[in-house]
Amino acid sequence: MKGRKVFIFFTILIALCAFGLSAADAPKELPRNETLYINGLQWGPPANFNPLSTNAAFPVGYVNNYLLVYETLFMFNQLTGQSEPLLGKSFAWTDKLSLKVELNPAAKWNDGKDLNAADVVYSYMAAKRYALPWSAYMDYIDSVTAQGDSTVLIKLNPAKPNRLYALDSLNKVYIVPQHVWEPIESQDGKDITKISQEFNANPVGSGAYKVMFYDDTRIICQRDDNYWGKALFGKLPAPKYIAHMIYKSNDAGTNAFRQHEVDVSQQFINKVWDLWKKGEPYKTYLDKIPYYLPGGTPSITFNMTKKGLGDNVEVRRAIAMCIDYKKIAEVAMSNYSDQVVPGIILQTPSEKPLVDESAVKSLWYKQDAAAANKLLDSIGAMKGADGIRVLKDGTRLGPWDVSCPYGWSDWNASLEIVVQSAKKIGIDLRTKFPEFPVWYNDVKNGNFDICMWSTTNPGVAQPWDRARDKMDSTGVPPIGQPVVSNSNFGRYKNARADELIDKIPQETDQAKLKEMYTELDKIFLTDLPIVQLMYRPSLFYTVYEGVWKGLPDSKSNPSNVPPTPEMGSFIKALYNISAK
Amino acid sequence: MNPYVRYFLKRLGWSLITLTVAVMLNFLLPRMIKGNPVDTIVSSMTQGMTNQNDIKRVYETFEKEFGIDKPLWQQFFIYVGNIFRGDLGTSFGQYPKKVSTILANAIPWTLALQFPAIITGWILGNILGAVAAYRRKLFDKIVLPVSMAISSFPFFAFALIVLFFFSATLHWFPIGGGYSFDLIPTLSWQFIGSVLGHYALPFLTIVIVAIGGQAIGMRSMAIYELNADYILYAKLLGIRDRKVVRYVFRNAMLPQVTGLALQMGTMVGGALIAEIVFNYPGIGSSMFSAIRQLDYPLISGCTLMITFAVLIANFVIEVVYGLLDPRIKMAQLEDN
Repeated sequence: MKGRKVFIFFTILIALCAFGLSAADAPKELPRNETLYINGLQWGPPANFNPLSTNAAFPVGYVNNYLLVYETLFMFNQLTGQSEPLLGKSFAWTDKLSLKVELNPAAKWNDGKDLNAADVVYSYMAAKRYALPWSAYMDYIDSVTAQGDSTVLIKLNPAKPNRLYALDSLNKVYIVPQHVWEPIESQDGKDITKISQEFNANPVGSGAYKVMFYDDTRIICQRDDNYWGKALFGKLPAPKYIAHMIYKSNDAGTNAFRQHEVDVSQQFINKVWDLWKKGEPYKTYLDKIPYYLPGGTPSITFNMTKKGLGDNVEVRRAIAMCIDYKKIAEVAMSNYSDQVVPGIILQTPSEKPLVDESAVKSLWYKQDAAAANKLLDSIGAMKGADGIRVLKDGTRLGPWDVSCPYGWSDWNASLEIVVQSAKKIGIDLRTKFPEFPVWYNDVKNGNFDICMWSTTNPGVAQPWDRARDKMDSTGVPPIGQPVVSNSNFGRYKNARADELIDKIPQETDQAKLKEMYTELDKIFLTDLPIVQLMYRPSLFYTVYEGVWKGLPDSKSNPSNVPPTPEMGSFIKALYNISAK
Repeated sequence: MNPYVRYFLKRLGWSLITLTVAVMLNFLLPRMIKGNPVDTIVSSMTQGMTNQNDIKRVYETFEKEFGIDKPLWQQFFIYVGNIFRGDLGTSFGQYPKKVSTILANAIPWTLALQFPAIITGWILGNILGAVAAYRRKLFDKIVLPVSMAISSFPFFAFALIVLFFFSATLHWFPIGGGYSFDLIPTLSWQFIGSVLGHYALPFLTIVIVAIGGQAIGMRSMAIYELNADYILYAKLLGIRDRKVVRYVFRNAMLPQVTGLALQMGTMVGGALIAEIVFNYPGIGSSMFSAIRQLDYPLISGCTLMITFAVLIANFVIEVVYGLLDPRIKMAQLEDN
């Protein structure tokens, strides 16, 4: 009896040890000084790692342009506005409709095969066959063909030649391996719903990292020491592992950041300056207000079909002049925004030269409730007994809903301030915060009075894309049908603006471009289809320097790394850092 | 027929009817929420596209994929047919993940957290309540107010305070998560230790609140029983205190067992607040975001699971009652 018990005991013990040893190849613990921790880029369990899906998880998600696993031809640098070489070596226009791209011959896939022109052709043209995340570009691109192994020719659609989008595509289109996805296409019967459902757990990409481990709580990437980019960057990226913990809420992520469990945080952190108050090694890109660089301007959009609002530019202008922008920046954005300079451009070195400031300065507005009141008085909008103005034709200025999705607390707070400000000049606004799917459906169909939405992200197609997004009326259906081609939810229409938006992407002469942008900006500032409330960074960038040193800030950034975690040429940061 | 078997079959019959109605409501109710879920998926896919025909094509593809283009009754029968095959559908919000995968990943964490916590809280709470009822005097005077205070304190506030003190300030426990941020799941003592360390705070907060609630309930039941005639009679007969107390507990326990059954059933819905405050993995937050995103398949999958769990738990309890409670035996025999 005793012998049997001993035997069973040892069997169990050996079995346990065997389990412990069986996972020996995957590390059980990530060494802290070899792992870079990130948060704010993945908010739920990974849906898939499929670059052809619109729902791919970090580090494959198309929207944020990560270059860790899959790469693009060039990388966008938000600081300089330049496209920097990655899979592509150089590009040049050979004629008005043709863009020639030279590829880097050293490029390889992480399964050892060469990356060449055929893969680039495949990646672009697949977006013509199916609805892929980058299919929008293919409306403007006729064909992409290989000219030998290392050269690719992109030919624009002569009916809709858009040079800006063609250039933008160089920075955004993921180059995927033909030898992996072509068989999957046939296997899935060329059905995009099946293809985009492939989980793709071990992505074959050209990037420096591979997906090593994932579950509902984290995604971990491991560096591929055979990465071809060693030839381009001169060395391998410093972190051996890049890990992204999946936090269930903003607070959980920030708590972990405070406990030194995260190195680079892409989260909104309230009062970020409290982090380094006691001398702890935290920093943002700028060391004083606004701490973060602007990437866009969340704005309120007016429904141009609403009586009193859409047909009355003075009312819109008065609203623009009454809003307490300072309070919004303070209360809603923790002061992470300067006063917005109104217009279609951001005040960045790459965009400022495109508009003649002297021509538009007089159209700028700022908070001036007295002037707003005077303006409304001048058009005969008298205040009624309830304090709300009524136009000469009897239209009451309100009640109008100002809406944004429920739970977006900084936006919710901003709109409360807008409502308070409007009341002071006699306009009756009310906040409305439905759940996102309901709200989004409503605004796309034009069922709203005033709604809040963001502008498009930085890229080489800016500021044109920002203007197109808010002002272009091409393809915008009437109220009752959803807008999908841009966020001109208010159905703003101006024939001259449409014309300029159509012509700008085809123009090559710099002087003429400046004229066109200036004219477009003037139209924007005169008509005011939107009112910009604040600046918001495209991606937040807060850093803990206790483990990894060398992450960029405004005072020390020799390689001009943009502070946009994991997006575009931020990837250069990984080569400049070191851990103790 | 054997009275037990009759009782069992009657109970089974009622459970099946309840199940059918529940499945129907389960299917219907989420679909009555205002809004179109296909919008969310399709709009991100068609971002920036200008060709209206292309966009329409994508929209129709997904409508077909999710079966939303069919009439409601047809969708229901497809839904039921799929359930029998174990296919709970594809999630809209986490497209293209399958609902069964999402549930399979999250449920073990939820059950591992809640099941021991609820049982422990139930046992300790009942003992506390029973002892308080029996002892009365000073012990009871402390236990009752303290239990009432704990059980009426809002759980999220309690959890946040516990997290603030024991984790953020004293650093006795980790700040959150299912296991340490720098570990990868393997069958090693280090990993198990990490899981247990991260388990401690959420477990304790749930147990403490459960104890508070159970103690009050058990105390009231026990006091009621202690004042019953048969207890007085037993005492007059000279039966020893300990045996009397056993009679009391067995009777007072019955309603508590019913309560436990219901808790066991609904626990598969997840502990949403504990998950958010302690950043703990589980099904609660998935279900919450499913509701906000109008993710019909995931909502239906979760609620179906809760329905099943509650029905099974109730059925088991009713059968156990039949065996435990002699009054039910009597009722069946009388029926015959």
